[in-house]
Amino acid sequence: MMRKLTLAAAALAGAIAGPLGGSSAAAAERTLRIGVSDALTGGASVYGLPQANAIRMAADEINAAGGVKVGGDSYMLDVIAHDDKGNPTEATNAVRKLIDFDEVKYILGFCCSGAASAVASFIADEDAVMLVGNAAERSITARGIPNLVRTRPPADYTGAAAGAFVGKRGHKRVAVLGALDVGFYALYVDAFEKELNKAGGQTIARESFGLKDRDMTPQLTKIREMNPDALLVVGYVEPAAFIYRQSVELGMDIPRYGFTSGSEEQFLRVATSEQMEGVWDLRPTELTLQSATETGLACHRNYTERYGMPPSPSSPYAHDNVHALKHAIEAAGTVDDTRAVARALRELAPPSEAVMQYLPVDGKMFDRNGQAYTANGAFQWRGGKWVYVEELPSDAKAYSEFLASLR
Amino acid sequence: MQFRPAYLALAAAAVGLALLPQIIVAKYYLHLSILALIWTIAAQGQNLIQGHAGYVSIVQAGFMGIGAYGTTLLGMHFALPVWLTMLLAPFVTALFALAAGYPSLRVKGRCFAIVTLAYNLVIFIVLTNWTSLTHGEAGITGIPKPGGPDGWFDFRDRATFNCLTLILAGAMTGLAWLIARSRIGQTLRAIRQNEDLVGAIGIPAWKYKLFAFVAAAAFAGLAGAVYAHYQSFINPEVFGLAQSLDAILAVIVGGSGAIAGPFIGAFFVVFLPEYLRFADAFRLIIYGLALILATIFMPRGIVGVASDLWARSRRGRE
Repeated sequence: MMRKLTLAAAALAGAIAGPLGGSSAAAAERTLRIGVSDALTGGASVYGLPQANAIRMAADEINAAGGVKVGGDSYMLDVIAHDDKGNPTEATNAVRKLIDFDEVKYILGFCCSGAASAVASFIADEDAVMLVGNAAERSITARGIPNLVRTRPPADYTGAAAGAFVGKRGHKRVAVLGALDVGFYALYVDAFEKELNKAGGQTIARESFGLKDRDMTPQLTKIREMNPDALLVVGYVEPAAFIYRQSVELGMDIPRYGFTSGSEEQFLRVATSEQMEGVWDLRPTELTLQSATETGLACHRNYTERYGMPPSPSSPYAHDNVHALKHAIEAAGTVDDTRAVARALRELAPPSEAVMQYLPVDGKMFDRNGQAYTANGAFQWRGGKWVYVEELPSDAKAYSEFLASLR
Repeated sequence: MQFRPAYLALAAAAVGLALLPQIIVAKYYLHLSILALIWTIAAQGQNLIQGHAGYVSIVQAGFMGIGAYGTTLLGMHFALPVWLTMLLAPFVTALFALAAGYPSLRVKGRCFAIVTLAYNLVIFIVLTNWTSLTHGEAGITGIPKPGGPDGWFDFRDRATFNCLTLILAGAMTGLAWLIARSRIGQTLRAIRQNEDLVGAIGIPAWKYKLFAFVAAAAFAGLAGAVYAHYQSFINPEVFGLAQSLDAILAVIVGGSGAIAGPFIGAFFVVFLPEYLRFADAFRLIIYGLALILATIFMPRGIVGVASDLWARSRRGRE
């Protein structure tokens, strides 16, 4: 027994000695490292990978234009990306590595709310700035953490606009089928239901599915028997695409609304264009060819050329964070003082390079909570494409005050 | 007193871990060390049921979740001090394990694994869906650390927290060692060898299995509580099946039934995936491959291999 202990201790010492031999690399002169923690593998990589790609592309755009200019120096951006699998512990490990080992002060990415929330829980104590992209859980910015900003509006901000839209279209009995285990999807549905009720409608079913589920015919069969006026689908692209496909296969001929932020290519991997025809996506006005500005069109073109596939609609949240960071660093006049950069971020107007159409609050891209707001839009699948139909009514200032009131 | 090299080596390992903050350049490794020590506590519990009794339990992360949420919710709703809630967490978890295990753990073999797997699923579902209590998938943030800036020790400092986890992991390893050396430990090993024979001589094997199950849960509950106060954030995702499999792997890779096995295995399952970050998309493939190879070629774990090498070298010298 004792002999085993001796050997075990020696083995452990060897295991630890390996990593201790490495040391953190010193930052090269006039190179600014920015870190990415995102889901590069696993189910959430449909959002995380495009975000990481968009960050690399934005960094190259900035470098091509001469870099980040601070006090006569130009800093070229160097992106280091780590996979957090959308998992809270993995995200903590990835960010610890970025801050402690890679000596990164600016961390972007975060497509998943659990991972973003875990990092947000300690980022206030770090000499770093966290720029959240696609994660939509409200609590991430509800605490008003001074060194955290987020480009994507919270899910309930969009859910309320979606509920009002569906109510306005006269639907009285709406069935919900969603990944309701996921906090921000439940948040979206709660806000949706509240506004639908105001318009005289109601949700007659709240059926749930897991993010890895692919056969939703049992829930759809149950919903079909309830004779709803409309169906609301909230969840990741893949399961949502299966639902749209299976609803057609089951002969359900009712309006289908959704909250997925999936691209045409992502949906067409699962469902045919005919099965998707008429589906609505009620979401922030993200990147689609129909809704894009000139900047958006250029982003779409560059991304497609570079990666051989179009960007996912939500990936520009991270792209815009990189440009916002560049302007904030230049405004603060420092790359080292993260507090000054964090303050500058909150004073920033939406940069001209931004792809998303932000609704500034008091002229600023990020409000006092560190939250940015985009317009919400109703998109409909027509002839194989998402077509931007109309803007959904959204009051960014009122929501900003509501968010601050949660503290 | 007789000189024993093992004591010296163990003392050196403990001193090395305690001095880690002074030795290492990047505090990232300190963070990993804290996580590995937390996993050591959970894996020592897993070793009681898996290594000694020979029953694979797939619920260790679920019990960590009960401990984590237990300490957090006790603190939130009853304003109890952090030290007290951390102390209560393993007992709360043990009570859950007793209530769940008493009626259902008389099963044998693979059925035992399936029952415990079901427990983990149920715990995960409850943590995810009882949102009014657990905040669901959004999780609970801002969980306080023990002590504070005005206290004797500031546990926001990772070096201090490393010392705390080292002490706790050492104490729980000692407790596991005492259990393994006791009559209970002997009976558990007898159950592993031949459960029918144990029953035939009048020993109620199920009671010993239940004891190992409840003790393992208490270990996991403590690990979960330490995890919650270290990370300051918990959500159900951290306590799923994948993490329970990590606890099983820690025992297998380290050395099933050996007191040092879970200790080494915990460092293995925490450090190896981090080492492999350079491999990007191939990281998890390489990790999985390493685990498969380790299981095939090191059935007795790292401790077993090291023991064989030591024995061979001694024979060579003689």
